[in-house]
Amino acid sequence: MQVEISRRKFLQGTVAMSVVGGTAVSATNLFASDGHDSSDGGTNSAIPDSITTKTGEAKEVRNIPTLCEMCVNKCAAIARVEDGIVTKLDPNPMFPKSKNMLCPRGNAGIQALYDPDRLKYPLIRTGEKGEGKFKRVSWDEAFAYITEKTIKILDEEKDNRSSFLFCAGEGMAEHTFKTFYQGFGSGNWLNHASICLQTVASGYGVTIGAYPQSDLENAEYIIMAGANRAEAIVSPDTMDLFKRTKGRGAKLICVDPRFTNTAAKADKWLAINPGTDLAFVLALTYVVLTEELYNKEYVEAHFKGFDEYKNHVLTSGYSPSWAEPITNIKAKDIVKIAREFMAHAPKSIYYPGRRSTFAKNDFQLRRAMAIFQGLGGGIDCKGGLIFGSKVKIKGHSGLEPLYARAESRAIVKKKDAKKGEAGYDDCAVVSGGGSWLGWRNRFLENKMPYKVRGMFCYKHNPMMNMPNTAKTAEMLKRIELLVCIDTMPSDTVMYADVVLPECTYLERTDPVKTFGGVEPSIAQRNKVVDPLFETQPINTILRGLMGQLSKPLFEITKKYDEDVQEELAELEKAEVDENNETTGTGQTAEEKEVEVYAEFDLTKLFEHDQEHTNEHAVHDYPGAAEALKEHGVFYPKMSEYYKQISANVHQYYPEKLKSYSVFGGATKTASKKVECNLASMAKKGVDPMPTWRDDYNFSVPDGKFRLMTGRHAQFTQSGTANNSVLRDLMPENFIWINKRVAKEKGIAFGDTLEVTSSVGKVTIKAYPTEKIAPNQVFFIHGFGEESSALTWAYKNGGNDNAVIEDVLEPVYGAAAMHETNVEIRKV
Amino acid sequence: MARYGMALDYKNCINCKACEVACKEENGVTLGADKHRIWVGVKEIEGEYPFLSISSSTFMPSQCQHCDDAPCQMVCPTNATYFDENRVVRVNTDQCILCSYCMVACPYDARFVDDRTMTVDKCNFCSDTRLAQGKTTTACQNTCPTKVRTFGDLDDPESEISELLRTRDHFSLKAHLGTNPKLFYLT
Ligand code: SF4
Ligand code: SF4
Ligand code: SF4
Repeated sequence: MQVEISRRKFLQGTVAMSVVGGTAVSATNLFASDGHDSSDGGTNSAIPDSITTKTGEAKEVRNIPTLCEMCVNKCAAIARVEDGIVTKLDPNPMFPKSKNMLCPRGNAGIQALYDPDRLKYPLIRTGEKGEGKFKRVSWDEAFAYITEKTIKILDEEKDNRSSFLFCAGEGMAEHTFKTFYQGFGSGNWLNHASICLQTVASGYGVTIGAYPQSDLENAEYIIMAGANRAEAIVSPDTMDLFKRTKGRGAKLICVDPRFTNTAAKADKWLAINPGTDLAFVLALTYVVLTEELYNKEYVEAHFKGFDEYKNHVLTSGYSPSWAEPITNIKAKDIVKIAREFMAHAPKSIYYPGRRSTFAKNDFQLRRAMAIFQGLGGGIDCKGGLIFGSKVKIKGHSGLEPLYARAESRAIVKKKDAKKGEAGYDDCAVVSGGGSWLGWRNRFLENKMPYKVRGMFCYKHNPMMNMPNTAKTAEMLKRIELLVCIDTMPSDTVMYADVVLPECTYLERTDPVKTFGGVEPSIAQRNKVVDPLFETQPINTILRGLMGQLSKPLFEITKKYDEDVQEELAELEKAEVDENNETTGTGQTAEEKEVEVYAEFDLTKLFEHDQEHTNEHAVHDYPGAAEALKEHGVFYPKMSEYYKQISANVHQYYPEKLKSYSVFGGATKTASKKVECNLASMAKKGVDPMPTWRDDYNFSVPDGKFRLMTGRHAQFTQSGTANNSVLRDLMPENFIWINKRVAKEKGIAFGDTLEVTSSVGKVTIKAYPTEKIAPNQVFFIHGFGEESSALTWAYKNGGNDNAVIEDVLEPVYGAAAMHETNVEIRKV
Repeated sequence: MARYGMALDYKNCINCKACEVACKEENGVTLGADKHRIWVGVKEIEGEYPFLSISSSTFMPSQCQHCDDAPCQMVCPTNATYFDENRVVRVNTDQCILCSYCMVACPYDARFVDDRTMTVDKCNFCSDTRLAQGKTTTACQNTCPTKVRTFGDLDDPESEISELLRTRDHFSLKAHLGTNPKLFYLT
């Protein structure tokens, strides 16, 4: 076969057609209008003078192992530092999780470090919220400002610590920030879970006890539905899978409404109707049950509630011919896939995926997938789903003071909820990460049980990351004190009252982390270069803030907290000896205060440097701390096991020592079984067994389109939107629209379309293609920033969340992202 | 002294473009979507939704073919384009006068203009960067998530690439032109 495609043909054949030339980059300064240009950072020699730097031209070279933070995968990298400048990031071959690879974003991490738009100094807002006008202040000034405002609010709210909301994006230092939240004593913690993988993690969690990994290196048959591993890269899954598809050991069935790059690499692609995967899995289950294809031995040993589930699926009539009109997948294909899957089981995987919730039924979908997987017996085994093992590291004890006046999480309980109904307005189950959308909306509706007036936001971008941007803007405007800790002037940062600039991942050491799996290891993100400008790592930032904030916080507690007042009043008496004489003096009030304050002293949380804490965490393993600094990776016997086998293959563990099966096929639930029927869920108004409901059916009114969103390999959500090198790969996002529909409407490639939903509008350029159905449109998430401080990302492409409606998934209150219909118009 | 070549397990390619970024970072290639030493060819898919032809949709990772009979080298009036001691086709920027004959002559469209130096740039197997630093492989090979490439000495019968080419079916691009590419696509 010969396929010959040239550079120019390549440029014409892809959406990267609107080529931005080699824009020379000036050191555009973020807040130049405030009279602070980047040249006074005092660290100029540490900044390269061009975007890309040829390696090998320097006198002094250092190679430092680190972990990538361009997305959540934490692949291992080796930074090449030449005369103090990071010139190259290479993959670190020693890490079993990322196996000597860095994706495009990982390679472009250098531009995150040297982005001229980075936050450089602490800032305090001078303009209106959202306007992006700030003045540069010193760290002390910023801390003093935060302290004053925080204390004022807490005084007025009588030490209700929950009058502050804490939220954070995913990352290795999320825990460090969470320590602050715990010490502060708020009940309001919101993280990315409810706009990310809450339903998939919990669906698998309640069914098989944990969110499992997939042994794609050994699986023979893989159904990948609603997951796009060629574009939404997950290490090691992406690397393991695509070496073996296309008749090379693993058969891949891709189920997706769009023809993705994963579909291009699959053996079969099924264009399913959005939101109907549950019907597809139920029908597969039906075939397996009626034809008795399931692994009887496994089901006998490891299933709970099998008979009820079987009965439910059969009597509900979830047959392939039932599913065909719902899913748009031919009944004969469903039968064939069910048979093939079971023929290869246990080396077959219904891939769990790890994405945002798309449809309201997502939790039930995940349950059905986990049970279906169990029917083949492919749990805790080679070629199936695996739990793996872990190299244990020591945690460190935090500080969780008790505040009598702190209310619990602000959540709206449903009035007169009956038995068997959800107890809350927004969800049936309250998760640790909360329901972001639910929380925001109830806040805006003034339904909160008490006032929430302040917000600490760490590396989180609610303006871009959750549906209905207009509402988020409104919420942020109403927050009296918004403190943002971030590396980039994101859309959310524009609403901040105080901005604390964190350094990027290449400028800090993060908490050491253990990575469980078939080949477990520990890995560490080591500081590569010193922080640029006045930026600091989160640990140092919080240490500084606590230095000012901790004592005044305690004063407020003293003022309102009766428990603390009582405790302070109980002074220890002087001791009396056998002669009835007092020895020494009794405890003074000052001494008592020192004793009580020790329980509330938040400075203690951040007193150690990260390097020190990490050494302690791996203290049990001789040589580990050194190995982590030198190689970035450690596991027992690494030096014996690790070897390069060929140019592209490394061994981490000998085959017989890999942790494919650690529980003999049992699951990690309390019963150690696959849980088919959850009575506890029924009490909360959640179907105890995966059940299809009529309102799950997919339909789009005439003239409208179902809007879908998703990922691709070149950007990570909005986090990398301003990366100049990644923009070479994809200058902006385009809206996919079916070619025939586009023709009918007179829409050509590159035409600007206005996309309208009930919550907002965006304009975005058109990409007519046959890779999408006539009643659907799609564009990639993470573009269309409104922060003018982002040179490249500002108003570049369209922001999906400006038009995605805020639809709540009923179990956890997760954001259901594919429930919005839009109208499109050429403008 | 070697004769460097590359074998590409191109079916592994997921069009992530990690190789393209790694190349830019390693070699200081100029910014711009049309400025790259390495790229992935994508063909518009055939068929109508949902009846699309999966087999029509291939990703072809590509770069300079390091032709053993290189038209670019033959037409270069200043000898700026030359074979180095490892039979790598290189450009000497000091000698390049940007006549662009080579760009026209190259059947693979592997060359482009670096606007900073106003000379022609192209893949050189990381010869003046990684290989000069003592590394044994290229940036694109090293970073690739699905491990598309194997780089090595075609003259060394013991090398991995020689072994691959002896044992796996492969083809060259535009073989009929007689350029004798040293990039081999494994099937
Ligand atoms: S997948 Fe890419 S961006 Fe994510 S951690 Fe790995 S190299 Fe970095
Ligand atoms: S890095 Fe590998 S998979 Fe990615 S585009 Fe390049 S060749 Fe293809
Ligand atoms: S591919 Fe083009 S640039 Fe490379 S050696 Fe052949 S003719 Fe020259």
